[in-house]
Amino acid sequence: MKFLAMCSSGLGSSFMVHMNIDEVLGELGVSGVEVDHTDIGSAGPESADVFFVAKDLADTAAGLGDVVVLESIIDKEELREAVKAAAVRKGLL
Amino acid sequence: MLSELLTEEKIRFSADRLSWREAVTQVAEPLLTAGDITAEYVDAMIASIEAGGTYIDLGFGIALAHTRPEKGAVRTSISMLRLEEPAPLLDQPEHAVDLYFCFAAVDATAHTQAMSSLARILSDTETREALRAARSASDVHRLITAFEEKK
Repeated sequence: MKFLAMCSSGLGSSFMVHMNIDEVLGELGVSGVEVDHTDIGSAGPESADVFFVAKDLADTAAGLGDVVVLESIIDKEELREAVKAAAVRKGLL
Repeated sequence: MLSELLTEEKIRFSADRLSWREAVTQVAEPLLTAGDITAEYVDAMIASIEAGGTYIDLGFGIALAHTRPEKGAVRTSISMLRLEEPAPLLDQPEHAVDLYFCFAAVDATAHTQAMSSLARILSDTETREALRAARSASDVHRLITAFEEKK
């Protein structure tokens, strides 16, 4: 199982989301999920099971598969709900 | 550590009403002066925002201006500019930003420690609010140092 955070550069925002997904998964007690971050240009449908992007990249990410669109990438509450929902969808919770 | 990169001389405050381009130029200025980035890096950040890059908007009035390492990042570095008046990205009111960070990484892994620290600080509601309320470079630096010592 892989969760992938994406942004345009693959360095800044996506890395922050990656960090926070790791933390939330830890809080939820979900294990066995590989978390990574990348630039959206190098991601394809096979790159991950769940994709996380900020809302500005929602259109670009459409078509990758299970895409989670975040209003703010530093809103921990929003991310917690989104990660929890994704974990439930994937049968991890 | 973020507190080692974001030193007091890289933290600026401005009461001027700036355009987003001026804000990006000014937040990058301490890094340019220190030789952490080249002028090309500043141009590349502005170009990527012009190309629709409001992705640097993190939410809560905070933006993280950055671009690819090969565009002129010399050293991994971070600076900050706090504005009294928001400078909305691409002049879009929904991207009103009054706390700009500029960030340069020399490769995809060198910056992980500082970035993870920044991510934790900005994602922690209480610390984020304290950061937004801070009114001097020394306050900001003290706050970051305290946060890193706590963890």
